[in-house]
Amino acid sequence: MTDISGGIGSHSFWSQFFLVHQGISGLIVIFIYISIISLIAFAFSDYVVPLYKDEDTPLRPYTSYIIGFFEKLIGPLSLKRMKFKEYFLNLLFFNFVAALVAFLFIYLLNSPGALSGRPLTVPEMVNTVVSFTTNTDMQHFPVAGHFPQFAIFFSILGLMVVAPVTGFAASMAFIRGIRTNEENIGNFYHDFLVALFDLFIPLTVLFTILFAIEGLPETLLSSVATNHFQASTARILPLGPVASFVSFSAVGTNGAAFYPSNSAFPLQNPSWFSNLTEIVAFTLVPLASIFSLGRVLGNKNFSRMLYGTVIFIYLFASVFTFYFELHGIPLYRNLGIHYTGNMIGKENAIGIAQSSVFNVGATISSAGLTNSALIGYTPGGIIGIMVGLMINDPLGGFGTSVINIFTFVIFTAFLASLMVGKLPELMGFKLGAKEIKYSTLSLITHPLVVLIPLGLVAVAFGALSIQGNPSPQTITELFYEFTSAASNNGSSIGGLPFGRPFFEYLESIIMILGRYLLLGFQLYIAQLFANRRPRSESPNTVKVGSPYFGLLLLAVIMAIGLLSYFPVLALGPFLSFARDLGLLLEVIPF
Amino acid sequence: MTFRNFNPVLEARNPVMFVTEISLFVSVAISAIPSYFGIPSSGRYEFFYITVTALIFLTLLFSNLGAAISEGKSRSITESLQKLTTESVAHLLKDGGMVDVTSSKLKKGEIIHVKKNEPIPIDGEIIRGSAYVNESNITGESRPILKVEGDAVTGSTILLSDGIDLRVTHMPGETFIDKMIDIVKGTTRSRTPNEIALNVLLSGLTLVFLIVVSAVFALSHFLQATVNVMVLVVLLISLIPTTIGGLLPAIGIASINMVSQFNIIAKSGRAVENAGDVDTIILDKTGTITMGEREAVRLIPNNGVSLEDLAQACYISSKDDSTREGMSILKLASSLGAKDQELNGYTYIPFSPETKISGVIGENTFVVKGALKALKEKYDISDKYIEAVCKEISSRGGTAIPVVRDGSFIGVIELNDMLKPGIRERIEELKKMEIKTIMCTGDDEVTAAYMARESGIEHFIANSTPIDKYNVVKEEKKNARMVAMVGDGTNDAPALAYADVGLAMNNGTPAAKEAANMIDLDNNPTKLIDLIFLGKQILITRGSLTAFSIANDLAKYFVIIPAAFSIFPKLDFLNLLGFTHPLTAITSALIFNTIIIIILIPLALRGVRFRPSSADEILRRNLLFYGLGGVITPFIAIYIIYVILLATGVVW
Repeated sequence: MTDISGGIGSHSFWSQFFLVHQGISGLIVIFIYISIISLIAFAFSDYVVPLYKDEDTPLRPYTSYIIGFFEKLIGPLSLKRMKFKEYFLNLLFFNFVAALVAFLFIYLLNSPGALSGRPLTVPEMVNTVVSFTTNTDMQHFPVAGHFPQFAIFFSILGLMVVAPVTGFAASMAFIRGIRTNEENIGNFYHDFLVALFDLFIPLTVLFTILFAIEGLPETLLSSVATNHFQASTARILPLGPVASFVSFSAVGTNGAAFYPSNSAFPLQNPSWFSNLTEIVAFTLVPLASIFSLGRVLGNKNFSRMLYGTVIFIYLFASVFTFYFELHGIPLYRNLGIHYTGNMIGKENAIGIAQSSVFNVGATISSAGLTNSALIGYTPGGIIGIMVGLMINDPLGGFGTSVINIFTFVIFTAFLASLMVGKLPELMGFKLGAKEIKYSTLSLITHPLVVLIPLGLVAVAFGALSIQGNPSPQTITELFYEFTSAASNNGSSIGGLPFGRPFFEYLESIIMILGRYLLLGFQLYIAQLFANRRPRSESPNTVKVGSPYFGLLLLAVIMAIGLLSYFPVLALGPFLSFARDLGLLLEVIPF
Repeated sequence: MTFRNFNPVLEARNPVMFVTEISLFVSVAISAIPSYFGIPSSGRYEFFYITVTALIFLTLLFSNLGAAISEGKSRSITESLQKLTTESVAHLLKDGGMVDVTSSKLKKGEIIHVKKNEPIPIDGEIIRGSAYVNESNITGESRPILKVEGDAVTGSTILLSDGIDLRVTHMPGETFIDKMIDIVKGTTRSRTPNEIALNVLLSGLTLVFLIVVSAVFALSHFLQATVNVMVLVVLLISLIPTTIGGLLPAIGIASINMVSQFNIIAKSGRAVENAGDVDTIILDKTGTITMGEREAVRLIPNNGVSLEDLAQACYISSKDDSTREGMSILKLASSLGAKDQELNGYTYIPFSPETKISGVIGENTFVVKGALKALKEKYDISDKYIEAVCKEISSRGGTAIPVVRDGSFIGVIELNDMLKPGIRERIEELKKMEIKTIMCTGDDEVTAAYMARESGIEHFIANSTPIDKYNVVKEEKKNARMVAMVGDGTNDAPALAYADVGLAMNNGTPAAKEAANMIDLDNNPTKLIDLIFLGKQILITRGSLTAFSIANDLAKYFVIIPAAFSIFPKLDFLNLLGFTHPLTAITSALIFNTIIIIILIPLALRGVRFRPSSADEILRRNLLFYGLGGVITPFIAIYIIYVILLATGVVW
């Protein structure tokens, strides 16, 4: 009797098919992931639109009391309409105060961590505070072991709120600059409070509940002793409010890890479902912001074009990484045994496709969470993951998605306008010398902030007395580290010996410049826009929503990234192919 | 000329070329003392260094060549203009007498007399008499132009017929030719805001590449495979946008030259760029869409009136009419057998916009002609046949002028104005560019609708007065659209001044010329469309060459990086073109980088061809041609250069 059920049973055609054709099933997984995050973000954009339009969100009836209370607390400063300079200075001041408070807490209450067994050094503290304030969350120490030190834990957690909410406030000001022509870009404190109470807190509460249901620990217990099933001695398993921490980390695109191995650790990411929830959590606000842009600015095609461009990059990078990871190490593949791809450093329950789409998503956005050990990736896989870092997180972070992508949009609009014979304009705003100056500056900030330190470290490497041979692998690691810091991503490949004051301080500078220079330039452009009344878009101008504009935008993004980093890529990852995995070359389809 | 621009201080205005020039100095130093830079100095290397130095020198030379050609052209234009400002003798009318003075001594407001066959000494306005003027020295049009009272005449044009009296409208040194000279000279120095913006952008890219190249040095040093400094210089020169950077000044000057060749005075380079940005264009029917010279083409007698009788009546009524229409009626009437007749006892009433009639009135007889409505009201008469004829003429786009003699209609004169040849196509092009075209005409609805339909214009304003034009400009500006218009009369001045692009005719009144930001010496309003094309062409040339220049970098990377690091054989997979001689490959890339400039000079001077179509369509086409083309071309070109180098035995 033949099996006509077709679906169930290990011998059915389709289950065999998906098992054998790993590539196809992986592509389907990637497609499903991207579809899910897009659909959820699209639905959520309804909620984001009023935030950008300065209208009341459905939650405002409840939050208005809290916002009002804090505004009274801050006093008249919270009511003032600010121009760029005042807005930006208040933003800087507020961030500085938050960082200073956190630093003092950590400095005064410093004691040996449970995992590292030593207290934090001052450079480490500076790096940590800067890293968390700039939404980078590059961690050179595991949070888990420090949870018992409540003060340290909560000052870090506090910065994990301040950083993304500041980013969202800045994006609100940016959009306001485009939307209105009242010669000011709003009030920082008001924007901050709205972003905090109307967006950040509700979302983190929601995701904390989801994560807790999915099995992430949510407890005030600092650790439990477990008996390792082979070892005779009991082991300490650190615990804490992991669900909340991950929720803050993912929703706020912080990417901070509770456990040293981030979401690769089962307690931080127990199943494929929590994996999916985490990716939804960190792409939700960035993607929703992009979707809402169209409705806020009255040009839905613009959103479609942005979405198409960003998702194309996402899809391309995911498939790229997936391809190389699936191919894995040629040596093994050529052995003739059944080889299922490079599973080094990956969680079995999650697999290659889900790891690829997760890690690429985390670098395309500024989350920087990771669900597998990046050091175990093939050089090809790493290049896919680095795409996002090299082009300064086109999907961006909590709020900053709008700001990051606009860096490229202005440049593209300039070029596209010229190419059709129009004086450069974007959505009716003339792009004059001043706008182009600041857009160029914001565009070159990222490459400069990465390449200058990279060059310095390469020249002074010997003097820095870092162990190990100078190798392409080291260049890859340094490059990854610096691009991650400059784009405030926080994804980390590891491998470098941290703790050296020089590195800690250097990275802090990179993070500060990568964050605040860019914010400053972009907010200044917003102020320039706010000073002007846009002309209604004429029919014969470049349509920013057209597919050709999207194509040019994609070309510009890739060109800027590729042209800035091609030589470094060649001497880093490309050469690593050759040196360390010589045989891998044969699978590169060049 | 070309070398004067090598001055580094001048080059600092253009950071791309400044960096190139600094690189030249560095490469000279490297070639001179290679050992000091820690690089090999054997014969083949030395040859490579000298070649690179020479190529960088050529890059600079070529980029200055483009500018020099443009500047040369603009100088020849100014020189030919300066010839026009030579002094001549003017007959100054003063205290009832006539004094001869040199033209440079004239003052604004003075009255001068010009005799037959004399050059008009200075810009002025005719206050007495009418005459034919030969303007071929400024417009190139050899046909004499009729100038009547109130028309402006330009200094240096030749008076062909009877003497006229002029009021001087411009002080010597401030005439239009003087202004044009200033502008052509001045634009070679001042840059438009758009040029500055592009320059800023290119500077940013240059800075990034400077850092990239430094990083390559540092990283190669780190890998203990320190790259040859000269190769780095080549990498830098290839990466920075020398193509567009080198051609930018040439494009700027060339654009003003092109405007001058159109015989248009642009008051600033900005005005020309604005023209490319226009959303709405307001065109006069007469003179722009039609030939502008309404001529009598037919006489239609009323029932019971003979053609000869009508012709004679028309002759009498137009005998003293010196308007173009009047003269054409006279001509037609004569050809139909009307005899010359002295107007004894008749008084001539000229046409006025208020009465809308003209003609002659005798003691007990009169012949008048004019608008049907005005005649009907004035004499309280009506005639079904005449009205039908008038309607029929209007519906064909003609102008009907009924003639009334002694209180009854005796016939109709049909005036016709021809569509300018090719105007339909121009309007079609504007439509493709999604530019809104509005036609203004003093004609009635029926005639206006006919003309609009014939020329393909969708929006028109019939029975328009100059104030209507102003209102249209205002209305369009309210919707934040860029408006262009043409005008010549004093009452056009407010609209001209308010429009973003105002083109005045040279024979227009001084007020109109003052208000406009461009003046057409040929008095051809259709040129407004050419100006729009020109403005777009300039911007497209800049944008496309920028895209091309940046896109070129990809190929250069793929050639230079694997060659520079040929020490790592495993990087060979980047060597897409399979070059086996690294130094030759690097030289090929630099040669391409150098000769592409000289190849593109003609394009920069002529401008990218502009085919009118929608913005999306142009973007698609240019993206494909200059973007994708910019990626592919250098691969092919560098490969060919490499093969040629190998074939000629240049192997390092």
